[in-house]
Amino acid sequence: MLRIECPNCGPRDHDEFRYGGDASVVRPVHDDADFEAWYRYVFVRENPAGPHREYWQHVMGCRQWLVVGRDTRNHEIAAVRSAREPRA
Amino acid sequence: MADGSNIPGFEMAAYDCAIVQFEGWDGAMAQFEAELKRMLGGPLPNKVGDTARYDDGLVVRIAPRRFWLLCEGPPPIIDVDAELGCALPLGEGRIRLRVSGRGLRHVLERCVAVDWEALGDGRAVQTGLHRTPVLLLRRSGVECDLLVPRSFSKGLAEWIADASAACT
Amino acid sequence: MRRLHEGGRIDRSQRIEFTFDSKALTGYRGDTLASALLANGIGLVGRSFKYHRPRGIYSAGPEEPNALVTMGTAGRREPNLPATTVELADGLVAESQNRWPSLKFDIQSVNGLFAPFLSAGFYYKTFMGPTRRAWMFYEHFIRNAAGLGRAGEEPDPDRYEVRNLFADVAVIGAGPAGLSAALAAGEAGARVVIVEQDFLAGGTLLSKPADGQASAWLSGTLARLASMPNVSVMTRTTVFGVYDSNVLGLVERHGSGTIDPEIGSARQMVALLRARTIVYATGSIERPLTFDNNDRPGIMLASAARIYLNRFAVLAGTRVVVATDNDSAYPSAFDLAAAGVEINIVDSRAEPMPVLLEQSRRLGIAVRRKSLISNASGGQAVRAVTVSEPGGTVTLECDLVVVSGGWSPTVHLTSHLCERPVYREDIDAFVPGKLRAGHFAAGAVTGGFITAGAIEEGRRVGTEAATFCGATNFAQPSFSLNLAEINAGNNDSRHAHLFGAAKDGSPSRRPEHPLSRRSAERWFGNRKAGLPKDKAFIDLQMDVTVGDIVLAHREGYESVEHLKRYTTLGMGTDQGKTSNFRALSAMAGLRGMTVPEIGTTTFRPPYTPVAVGALAGRSQRHHYKPFRRTPMHDWHVANGAQMLETGVWMRPWFYFASGRNVDEAYLAEMRMVREAAGLMDISTLGKIDVQGPDAAEFLDRVYVNAFSKLPIGRARYGVMLRDDGIVFDDGTTTRLGERHFFMTTSTAKGPDVLSRLEFLLDTAWPDLRVSVTSVTDEWAAMSVAGPKSRDILAAAFTNLDVSNKALPHMGQLEANYRNRPLRIIRLSFSGERAYEIYAGASVGKEVWCRLIEAGVPFGLKPYGVEALGALRVEKGHVAGPEIDGRTTLDDLGLSRIAGKRNGYVGAVLGRREALSDPARPRLVGLQCVEPGKRLSGGAILFRPGEPMQGHGLGRITSVTYSPTLDAWVGLGLFARNAAEEGSDMVATHPIKGETVRARIVSPMFLDSKGERLHG
Repeated sequence: MLRIECPNCGPRDHDEFRYGGDASVVRPVHDDADFEAWYRYVFVRENPAGPHREYWQHVMGCRQWLVVGRDTRNHEIAAVRSAREPRA
Repeated sequence: MADGSNIPGFEMAAYDCAIVQFEGWDGAMAQFEAELKRMLGGPLPNKVGDTARYDDGLVVRIAPRRFWLLCEGPPPIIDVDAELGCALPLGEGRIRLRVSGRGLRHVLERCVAVDWEALGDGRAVQTGLHRTPVLLLRRSGVECDLLVPRSFSKGLAEWIADASAACT
Repeated sequence: MRRLHEGGRIDRSQRIEFTFDSKALTGYRGDTLASALLANGIGLVGRSFKYHRPRGIYSAGPEEPNALVTMGTAGRREPNLPATTVELADGLVAESQNRWPSLKFDIQSVNGLFAPFLSAGFYYKTFMGPTRRAWMFYEHFIRNAAGLGRAGEEPDPDRYEVRNLFADVAVIGAGPAGLSAALAAGEAGARVVIVEQDFLAGGTLLSKPADGQASAWLSGTLARLASMPNVSVMTRTTVFGVYDSNVLGLVERHGSGTIDPEIGSARQMVALLRARTIVYATGSIERPLTFDNNDRPGIMLASAARIYLNRFAVLAGTRVVVATDNDSAYPSAFDLAAAGVEINIVDSRAEPMPVLLEQSRRLGIAVRRKSLISNASGGQAVRAVTVSEPGGTVTLECDLVVVSGGWSPTVHLTSHLCERPVYREDIDAFVPGKLRAGHFAAGAVTGGFITAGAIEEGRRVGTEAATFCGATNFAQPSFSLNLAEINAGNNDSRHAHLFGAAKDGSPSRRPEHPLSRRSAERWFGNRKAGLPKDKAFIDLQMDVTVGDIVLAHREGYESVEHLKRYTTLGMGTDQGKTSNFRALSAMAGLRGMTVPEIGTTTFRPPYTPVAVGALAGRSQRHHYKPFRRTPMHDWHVANGAQMLETGVWMRPWFYFASGRNVDEAYLAEMRMVREAAGLMDISTLGKIDVQGPDAAEFLDRVYVNAFSKLPIGRARYGVMLRDDGIVFDDGTTTRLGERHFFMTTSTAKGPDVLSRLEFLLDTAWPDLRVSVTSVTDEWAAMSVAGPKSRDILAAAFTNLDVSNKALPHMGQLEANYRNRPLRIIRLSFSGERAYEIYAGASVGKEVWCRLIEAGVPFGLKPYGVEALGALRVEKGHVAGPEIDGRTTLDDLGLSRIAGKRNGYVGAVLGRREALSDPARPRLVGLQCVEPGKRLSGGAILFRPGEPMQGHGLGRITSVTYSPTLDAWVGLGLFARNAAEEGSDMVATHPIKGETVRARIVSPMFLDSKGERLHG
């Protein structure tokens, strides 16, 4: 089990959360017609062995989408912030 | 709890639960909170999980920009300036399960992954109970309210009752 | 074998009756099943896995490979429990395993004669090779012969539970190191949980004489811990796994004849302990020695013999051979000698510690140096051993052989998070690798085998752990320890120096065991000559011998992971706790490498077996998943609905008032809706309140069709795509006000849609001022559908104007019912004139009943989901079977609703080239053209005459019998470049064995102009 420290609710079991995929990809603006940009956003992933930034939503709690820094090699979680906060 | 010998082992009762949800817009929170304070006539809880008591209700901060006003009686009609935020009555969708007794800690540890001892009286915590989102309000060391979605309420009440039976 | 009249930690005033293989026996409170069996003179306890060799009790703990028993009867039957961990309780029923007809006379022990066939790789060779056909024949016999206990076949009647615990410091193991750590952390003010698998705390201290210094320290420490409200001592609890984020999996058991109030009425409890720090004080496990027939009953670990003597007051033999390659067996020998038995020590080393030799001499014990046991004789009990000495061989008669091949630190739990253990040459053992921040280890697990050192180390890491958690109260410990006294152990008259010095460390602890490279010759020097003649076991539980390891090496299975799988070494219920290191060093010896060079296999949870029922806890049967009930649930049940699980919701499937079974009922309910009216509970639809200044803009972006121009009081059908252009969900959204919308989703996708909307607002468009909230539970929802629906609505709500002018198709009105909200939206899923009525959930049942009552004169009755699904198929509406996560707008014939819009989710990738492939599927209607036959969902479609192979040109997704057309009809997805209306296809359902002709038609089977909806 992972425990994720929700910045609003404190540390919680991962089954209170919903996983939302890679948070390092950049979503094109809603009316961007560039096929390449959408293609990269939807399909192209780094898949790193190491630090990974990913979205999790605290669905059983404050329902906020969070950006979680997780090391894919050992599940250690470095930092958690609200997705609404600007990227570091 | 040690000297609670006159308190029953475990009890549970279900009530309707009037809620009004208030949400402020990102970027207008200071003004929104000021207006909400003025309308409610008291302070707002600062952190998610904090509560503030009013004459006829309790305000819980359930998300950074969201508050629930839990009312004992009929919910007040409060109009929020649409440029600052919005209000939504949620009086129909939840059941308040009041659970209490000397065995409460044992029942809760079979229901939710919440550190009951570290949770202060009057604090609220949103968590999962049998994979269902619930709001747990600690009233005292031997009593709490669980606000559960109405459609799940019967199943969750059975789950809690079974948990209490398993403690004895 | 006999019980001593005094001593030990058993309560002689409490006799306990139990049975073993139906024989009535007695023991005492404080016994394990193993100690009670030994006290009753029972040394033969089971038969081995493959060869059915007689086996006895080998250890005194969870590492036991041999003495596995089945406990309980019927549904409570539980196999493969180590007798060494079973706490004796009144009425306990235990059986030996893997023997027939009896333990003493076992027919299948002839397997020993066929042993060459059952050697390493047997399963691989027979399964994979040319003999596979023979396997089919022999499998039955072999499976019957090889194996351990059998589980019960009846349902387990017991209750299991899972609970959640929290602590600052979790200490694993209540031996000297763990207790000391718990004490230090507790005194610092941290919340401490200390977990011990045994029913007594004390660990290795329990193996020492009960009247010594060790005991005094133990009872003092336990009393101090019990007085601390922030410390919880959990005995009878095993940490079976260490998981990410410091979550420990614990399994708790009840005591002998008592109910643990923490566990309650559950038979076992799994506890998930979330700790801020972990202290591993897991101790170490003694290693066996390897020689021919080293599995005979009466051969056991030296530490076990000492535990049986000092803790259980059981003397396991009277003529004892102690075989060792290290110092730690000497205290066992001395304690046994003090109990008056004859001892011979066989030590493989040239120069044991002089102090040990001196003590041996004093106690009249013969020590044979540079000596090894080469063979044991005796069938159901050991009778003698052959010892190879520098001067030749000698035979020693005996009834107990105790062995010590050194110690393996119990690194299992420290490795669960993939931190590999590291080899330490000075002790020839693996110790924990680098631990994570906040994880600590103390005591024998770290490779330090001195008791006083463990206490000191425990106190140090307990303090560190508490500091890590922010505990600050570091006053001097209130319970003082005189370590010097404990170390010296001067008051322990019987073997003065040994309290401090063993199991216990000494400079010469480095063992010279027979399978190290130096002495590998004994086994492997002439291996070309063949395998050892008799069996010398490495893994007693899996019956893996030295010969099997030689064979694996010869056949190329040299890596430790291959070795494990080829020989099944370490794959028993004991997970090779005693055999692992032996096997590694044997393979290292064979390959001429060192142990660290060949490495170790991976330790994974569970450390000891856990009942599946305990892991499931209460989440079984009706609690397997949470159920959602609509506000009208009780009405449905009371009025003859057959309920159906649809996802988490309970929904009426059909009503018995409409027919005797679903086939009869759904057709009657369909006719009722088409001809009069029906009432359907649609409370399960996902409902989302969307409001804010930017709500319309938000909806324009999430739906393929526009909502900003939707007039207030009007509803619109909308479709959402995923980012990759595949259809996500559909539903209707109604505009309640300029900035306020009411969205509905499919029943299944409600939670996913809400989460997606929140994702877009939180991550992509935080500038949009929009609030989205689930209101699924707020509203009871029902649909009244059919030509008479408006009359019924008017009759039910006489104060409302529901005329076509006031409430046209896709119109909405807001009202209230007894001060609760009431919302009516004119929407149709069935193709008939229909209204969706949303009422506050608390009055849902009342509104439902009011409609039923008002509808009686019009022929209104409720209908269920079977009829609902059939009605929408007739109308050609897509639903879950068509919106299956693979289909596009185009595939479903919905492109027109998006038109040429841009800027919505999925717009760009929805138009990618691959999705306009002319061979992609397109929604079609299908009509059965063979009289007397039916269509089936899932059938594959082929052109007539073409071979029916592969995936065909398409498939049928949904079917129904249409009373209107008097034919079986369905919806399907069919290659659009081959989908010509009017052409006949063959639909084949290979699983049902059906093949039927079907014609491709328009998916809208009736009222294609929608005349029934309007007016």
